Amino acid sequence: MRAVVRNGVGVFSPQGFLDGNNSTAFLSIDDIQATANLNVDMVLVSLKKVIFFNRNGLDAFVKMFLKVRKGNKATVGFCDYDAKKFEAIIKFYKNDLNFSLFKSQEIASLFASNFKNKNKNVLLYSTDKSQRAAMAIELHDNGHNPIIAQTEEEFDEKSEADNAYDVIISHTHVGQMGQTVAARVTGNAIIYTISSFLDAEIGNTFNIAYHNNSLNVGFRLFIFDAYKVISMNVHALNFFSKLASSAAEYNATICFVGLTFEKTPIAFKETLEDSGIMFFEQMDEILQNKELLEELGASSAASVQNVRPLNKVMVTELPHFIDAAVATIEMMTNSKAVKDAVQINEIKIDNKADKIASSIGFYGDIDGMVILIFPTDIAKKACALLIGEETDDMELILDTLAELVNIVGGKLKTLLLDQKIHVDITLPRTYPDIDSLLEITEFKKGVQVDLAFDNDKFLFFLTR
Amino acid sequence: MITKQIIDSYIEKIPPSPKVLKVTLMFLNSGELVKAAQVAKEDLALNAYLKDLVNKPIYGFRNEVSDVSQIFGILGVAKSQQAVYNYMISLLSPAKWKLFKLNKTSFSNLQADLSANWQKILKHLNIEDKDIESSIALLPASIIVSEALFNEKIDDVNLLRSVNPIDLNTILKRLCEMDLFDICEQISKKWEMEENIAQIIQSSSGVKPAQDENINNLGKWMHLLLFYTLSQPNYIDAELNDFIDFQIDYVGDIYDDFSQLMEIS
Repeated sequence: MRAVVRNGVGVFSPQGFLDGNNSTAFLSIDDIQATANLNVDMVLVSLKKVIFFNRNGLDAFVKMFLKVRKGNKATVGFCDYDAKKFEAIIKFYKNDLNFSLFKSQEIASLFASNFKNKNKNVLLYSTDKSQRAAMAIELHDNGHNPIIAQTEEEFDEKSEADNAYDVIISHTHVGQMGQTVAARVTGNAIIYTISSFLDAEIGNTFNIAYHNNSLNVGFRLFIFDAYKVISMNVHALNFFSKLASSAAEYNATICFVGLTFEKTPIAFKETLEDSGIMFFEQMDEILQNKELLEELGASSAASVQNVRPLNKVMVTELPHFIDAAVATIEMMTNSKAVKDAVQINEIKIDNKADKIASSIGFYGDIDGMVILIFPTDIAKKACALLIGEETDDMELILDTLAELVNIVGGKLKTLLLDQKIHVDITLPRTYPDIDSLLEITEFKKGVQVDLAFDNDKFLFFLTR
Repeated sequence: MITKQIIDSYIEKIPPSPKVLKVTLMFLNSGELVKAAQVAKEDLALNAYLKDLVNKPIYGFRNEVSDVSQIFGILGVAKSQQAVYNYMISLLSPAKWKLFKLNKTSFSNLQADLSANWQKILKHLNIEDKDIESSIALLPASIIVSEALFNEKIDDVNLLRSVNPIDLNTILKRLCEMDLFDICEQISKKWEMEENIAQIIQSSSGVKPAQDENINNLGKWMHLLLFYTLSQPNYIDAELNDFIDFQIDYVGDIYDDFSQLMEIS
C-alpha cells in the first residue's frame, strides 16, 4: 500500500480488519522505504475504514512512523477515528506515544503548514494539560487562533455555540512535530516558514528539490517567513547566499519577512542583501501590495530571457506528448478526442472567456512545458471523475485540474521512458483565466494542437 | 473508453454452462443429489474442482473426500449448487491476472473462503434458501469481469490511483457507469436467479440499501464478510482490499454479532 500525497501530506487508508497477520501485507518493507523517501510534511494513517484493530495491527505503521520521522522529520500519526478507537490507541501506547493522533484529517491539516487553512478560530480541549498547551502553541505557530477550554464542561458549553469556531478539536494528541521547513503557495509566491536557530541543519530540513521544481515550473517569488527565527549562524548564511545565487539564474526573488537582528550579526543582513535577498518587516507589505508583487515577479512568472525554441527531439516526440494528454482526458471524460488542427507558432486562443488552463513542466533529457487550456465546462467534466461529481467551486476545479495535469505529466514521463528519454515532472500550475496564462507564454513559440472532445474544444500547447 | 458494449461482451462470456453443468444444476435445483452426482461425474474437470474445493482447510474435513456423490452428499443441495456455480466462474478465470494479483489457486481460495463463511452466517441467521446461499458466488464472478474491464485501461487506472485515494469500484462506476455490484446483478439475471438476490447484492455494496429490512440485513452481513475476507493477507497482497469502499457505519449494528460468529478478538 502506498500513501496518497496531497498538499504535502501523505495519507494511508487501510480498510477492514487490522491485526498482526495482515499488517505487513498492508505495509511492506518497500512501502515503508518509499514513504521515508517522500518529500512530505506529514504522514498519516487514516483509520476511517478500519473496523477492527489491535496493537499488533498498528505496530507495523508505528514502525513506519519512526523510520519516516528519522528520515525526513515529518509529522506522523493516525487520524480519522472515533472516541473508542482513540482510547484504545492511548491504552496500547500509554508509555510510548511518540506519534500524533488527529481526530480527523481536517484537524491534522491545521497542524500542517497549509496556507489555505490559516487563520482558523479553533476551540481545543484535552484532558492532558501539557497537550492543551502543546496544541495551542503549534496552532498559533501555524497562524491560527486557538482557544483552550480548561475543563470538559467549558469545552461542552463552548462547542455548542453555533458558528463560533471554525474547527473544534478533541481526542487529539500531538506527538513530536515535524521540523521540516514548511512551504505554502499563495498566488504565485511560495512562502517558506523557518523558525528558532538556523544553522547547518537548514540544508537538511529545507526541501531543495521542491524549491528547484518550483523554479522550473515558473514560480519567481520566494518569501521566507522568519518571524520566529531567533538567530542564524554562518552556515545558514552560506546556505541562503547560495540559494539566492541559484534563484538569480531564474530571475527569481527571495525575501525575508520579520527577521530581527538582535541576536544575528547585522553584517549578515548586508551579505544577504548583496546576494540579492530583500528584507521586509511585515508579510502584508508584500502580499497586500500588488505593484510590489508584480515588481518582485509574483504575478508574472515569465522570464523573457528564458524563451527558447523547440528542438528536434521535442518535435519528434510530439505524438507522445499529445497521446499523454489525449489519453488522460479521454479517460476522464469518457469521450473520444478528434484532432482539429496543428500549428507551430505563438499560442493563439480565439475566445478567452470561460476558459481555464493548467501547465506542467518537465526536465531531464529534454525539457519544456505542456499547457492544457479547457473551456470551464469541459474542465468540470474532466474533473468530475476525480471529485465524484460536477462542481461550480472554481477553487476545487483548479485544484483538481492541477491533479489532472499531474496525471498527464505522469503518463508523459512513462511514455517518454519507453523511448529511453528520462524526464522528471515539476509541480503543476493552474491559471484561473487566460490572461494569467498569457503572461508566461508570451513570445514563446510552441506546438499548438486544437482538439475536440464531443464537440468541446480543448487546446494543447507544448513549449520550452 | 469503456462502453456498455464492452461490458456486455464480458458478461456474455460468463459460461452459459456446458450441458453437463446445466443438467447437474437442474438436478440440484430439484434436490436430486444422486442424479446430479451421476451427471457431474462425466465432467472430469468439475470432479477435480469439487475434490480440491471440498478438501480445502476451511471446510475442515479430517479425511480426504474424493467421490462426487460423497461430496454432494456432504455439502447438501445448496452448497453443492454453490460449488457448481463457483466451478462455472473458475472456467472464466483468466490464465494470467494483471490488475489483481491472483492466480487459479488464490481465486479458488477466495471462492471457498466467501462460500464457507457465508454458509456460517446464513446458518446463524436461520436462513435456508438455495439462491441466497449461492448469491455469494456472484462477487468472485464480478471480480473476473472487473479485471477484464480494468485491463482495457490498466495504465490509466494505475496512474489515476497514484494521485487520488479513489477506490477501484468508484473508478469502475465512473468509467463504465456500472460498478461491481451492478455487474453482479447482471450476472444474477444471466443465471436466472430470483430478483431478491440482485437486491441483496446491491445492498451489500453498503451504498445502495434495499427497502426491505430483511434483504438489507443480509446485505450488511455480506458487506462485512466481504471486508473480513478481503482483509486476509493474501487478498491484501492481491490488491482486492481496496477494490470496494468499506462503509463502516453501514455495518455498525451487526458488527458485535459478526465478530462473535467469526471469533474475532
